[in-house]
Amino acid sequence: MKNELVLFLIIFIPIIGALALPFMGRISTRLRNGVSFTLVVLSFLFSSFLLPTALSNQSIAIVKYFPLGFNFILSADSLAVGMAIVVSFISALIILYSFDYIKHYENQNEYYFMVVLFLGAMMGLVFSGNLILLYIFWEITAVTSWRLIGFFRRKEHILRADKAFLVTVFGSLLMLLGFIRMYQETGSFDLSTIKQVIKLHPISDLTIALILAGIFSKSATLPFHTWLPDAGVAPSPVTALLHAAVLVKIGVYVFARIFIATIPLAVFWQTAVPVIAGISALICAGAALVETDLKRIIAYSTISQIGFIFLGLSIGSPIGVAGGLLFILMHGLAKAGLFLCAGVVEQNAKTKDIRQLGGLIQTMPVTALSFLFCAFSVMSIPPFGGFFSKYMVISGALETGHLVIAAVFLFGALLTILYLLRAFNMVFLGEIKNSSVKEGSFIMLLCVGLFAILSLAGGIFIQYPNAVVQEITRQLFSLR
Amino acid sequence: MVVLFILIPFVLLLVLNLPFKFLNARIAFWLSVVLFSTQALFVLINSLFAWSNYPAVLGQFLIFKLWLDPLAFIMLFTIAIVVLVSLLVARSTITTEKRSFNFINLLLVALTGMNATVLVADIFSLYVFVEITAVAVFVLMAIEKNKFAIEGTFKYLVLSMFASVFILTSIAFFILACGDLSFSEIHNAFLANSNIILLNFAIGLFLCGLFIKCGVVPFHGWVPDAYSEAQSAVSVLLAGIVTKITGIYVLMRLFSSVFVLKGSFHNLIMLIGVISIVFAALAAFRQDNIKRMLSYSSISQVGYIVLAIGCGTPLAILGAILHFFNHAIFKSLLFVNAAALEKKFGSTDMSIITGLGSQLPVTSVTSLVGLLSTAGIPPLSGFWSKLIIIIALFNAQQFTYGWIALLASVLTLAYFLFMERNIFLIKTETAPEGSDGVPFGIKFCEILLAAITIGVGLGFPFILNSQILQLKGLLY
Repeated sequence: MKNELVLFLIIFIPIIGALALPFMGRISTRLRNGVSFTLVVLSFLFSSFLLPTALSNQSIAIVKYFPLGFNFILSADSLAVGMAIVVSFISALIILYSFDYIKHYENQNEYYFMVVLFLGAMMGLVFSGNLILLYIFWEITAVTSWRLIGFFRRKEHILRADKAFLVTVFGSLLMLLGFIRMYQETGSFDLSTIKQVIKLHPISDLTIALILAGIFSKSATLPFHTWLPDAGVAPSPVTALLHAAVLVKIGVYVFARIFIATIPLAVFWQTAVPVIAGISALICAGAALVETDLKRIIAYSTISQIGFIFLGLSIGSPIGVAGGLLFILMHGLAKAGLFLCAGVVEQNAKTKDIRQLGGLIQTMPVTALSFLFCAFSVMSIPPFGGFFSKYMVISGALETGHLVIAAVFLFGALLTILYLLRAFNMVFLGEIKNSSVKEGSFIMLLCVGLFAILSLAGGIFIQYPNAVVQEITRQLFSLR
Repeated sequence: MVVLFILIPFVLLLVLNLPFKFLNARIAFWLSVVLFSTQALFVLINSLFAWSNYPAVLGQFLIFKLWLDPLAFIMLFTIAIVVLVSLLVARSTITTEKRSFNFINLLLVALTGMNATVLVADIFSLYVFVEITAVAVFVLMAIEKNKFAIEGTFKYLVLSMFASVFILTSIAFFILACGDLSFSEIHNAFLANSNIILLNFAIGLFLCGLFIKCGVVPFHGWVPDAYSEAQSAVSVLLAGIVTKITGIYVLMRLFSSVFVLKGSFHNLIMLIGVISIVFAALAAFRQDNIKRMLSYSSISQVGYIVLAIGCGTPLAILGAILHFFNHAIFKSLLFVNAAALEKKFGSTDMSIITGLGSQLPVTSVTSLVGLLSTAGIPPLSGFWSKLIIIIALFNAQQFTYGWIALLASVLTLAYFLFMERNIFLIKTETAPEGSDGVPFGIKFCEILLAAITIGVGLGFPFILNSQILQLKGLLY
């Protein structure tokens, strides 16, 4: 019972707490900031509390049945708990960073409300054991990210927020169609029931395609990727939250939840998904090479890296899956760090155009170094964390004999190195174009530095995350 | 005892018009508030069976029979809420004492008519009470006496008369074919399969009339004019409940449980529903007046209900009833938002009222709730009813309609985002300075309706399980 209560609290502490934040904000901004940080940290602590139980393969579930299959089911397996820990940890750091970043702007109450609600919905999504419940949380994240992207209320910002909202909602409606078809075919929205029924007759390809469309739209994979670079108009902590830590990982997580943990992916899709992911990775890496807006470069880089995660998860070998899961962690840390660095640069230099920046390493050394560390991790230079995950993903592709796909992704990895070095070079090296730029505030640098150090530490102490990931993978495959 | 739902408003109407000095608009307002909230509360507290078991002492003096079933039960609740909201809005938008008094009287007539419409058990009384409601609303719409309001009223009046002619003719055919007009006799006649050609002809005529009354595409010409030119409080009443009771409720009642339909009628109704969903949503993009946009949105949402009624399976009818309720609530909410804007800025033109988010926090947030619910975004109420309708369509093998109905939600979302962006979200230098703040009555309505939308949405599986499915006979 204790574990069930904790599971319930992980989700509903942030969701219910978020509702109170706007009112607290009227009393005191410090109170509001502190409470919102505490809510997320609580979520993180509770998630960590569940980890030993989940790793020992005991099931924790809250089940309540309702008519028409609209059951309320929360279940915590090791995959869910692992994801929840990663997400809540990165979110907590991002909120800490926001304290200094967001205090210059209006509508702060709305900001904290949306961010914490977003996290709560994300937690709900991670633990959902019913497709309708999952869809509900999925759409709550869409609504909150719509308001977060359009946070600065100029017309072009709101237009881009609307674009992101419409694209993701269109995708999720396709996914809902897929869910309804799944209900037709299996007679249930519950993942556990579907898993049992599926052994007798497989799911039709159209259903899988529809669900994949929803996942790709959320993860900004080709052909639904265009909203993500545009979403860079959001405040930097939000872009970090959206792009790196959470939003695009929702699609990846749901992919793992449905297509690894529940339905074994058919052979056709084990090739089709990597091909789509590969095209997505290459095209967006190319776009990142020619882009001149710092945030857009990092956004395209995210789309490109998401392709690697899909490769690992869909290729059908345990090492690939383990690599994909590890990638979620490493990429989350490093990319959040990159976006927060970009935020420091943007706020102090008042521009995101890399052609107008240069030589910033002399005035903001900490930011520059952190950017470099995080970039190394994304480029997968050993011994940074990103190296191990990318290595595992690509060896997974090789193990299953997809030589061409592996080669394409290796080329994508090469492009990653090129565009990130180009960005670093133009922003931080070279002659100083604007000498009045100052370093960011202490809390912001603390967060940025922490992400950089964690990216390095994640690689040096790879055995700990790796052990967890291997255990999750083992459970995923043994349960089939 | 059911007859009290009709008698009490009627008696109140008579009492208010007694020649006493102290019976002014103030008294009338408070008495009506008590009456409307009592109706809502009674429905909420008392179970259906409690009502049916009361001895029908008063009922036996009537020339028509009454019955109370789950459908009527939900309708009574919806009527009470929307009428109450309309009254509260009117208090701050209708300023003169005389007009306000007239408004309340006409509102009571409309309430009597609508309550009776959902309670009667024969098709002729149904027609009579639909017309009583409609007449009250015609006068309400013209209460402002400006040119456009009269134009809108006239359009509605003329088209509604056409509808009446169709329906009356159809009723004549029913007399010919069945000999009696009670629902049960007509149902038996269908089952006995006698005079089937005549019956089908009668259904066709009835359907033509009802389509006009529902305002579905292509019979929707009167809807945007009527909704947008009427006084704010009347728009709420009209869009929120009157068109729904006089059109959709009748369609729902007759075509789900009284008539026994051939497949082609099902297809026709579903086709009209889908056309309404898509075309009205597309037309909504071109509007620059918020009330006209809401009107088209209303047509589009009504399309969902019509589609579900056309599908005709018990699950689809359940979805239709739920969407009826949800739509009544959130569309009233959006019209109340429009009323708040009109009250504060004197305009509903989206090119004038722009960049207002910080001036109207309550309206801004509640309109967001309303529009997301209309677009079917979870966890708001509109999501669940649409979901049930779409599951029902899939279960009935109507895949094409299911796909269109689901994906049309993107259109709904798109035009509403345009509205929200223009009016509330963007920051402009040219944002108009409004008069004093939004009156308390309107704010209260906004919060009440938004709370219902959110509450029903969050607790939906629970409410479905513990309340709605307990109403026996709703889902067989």
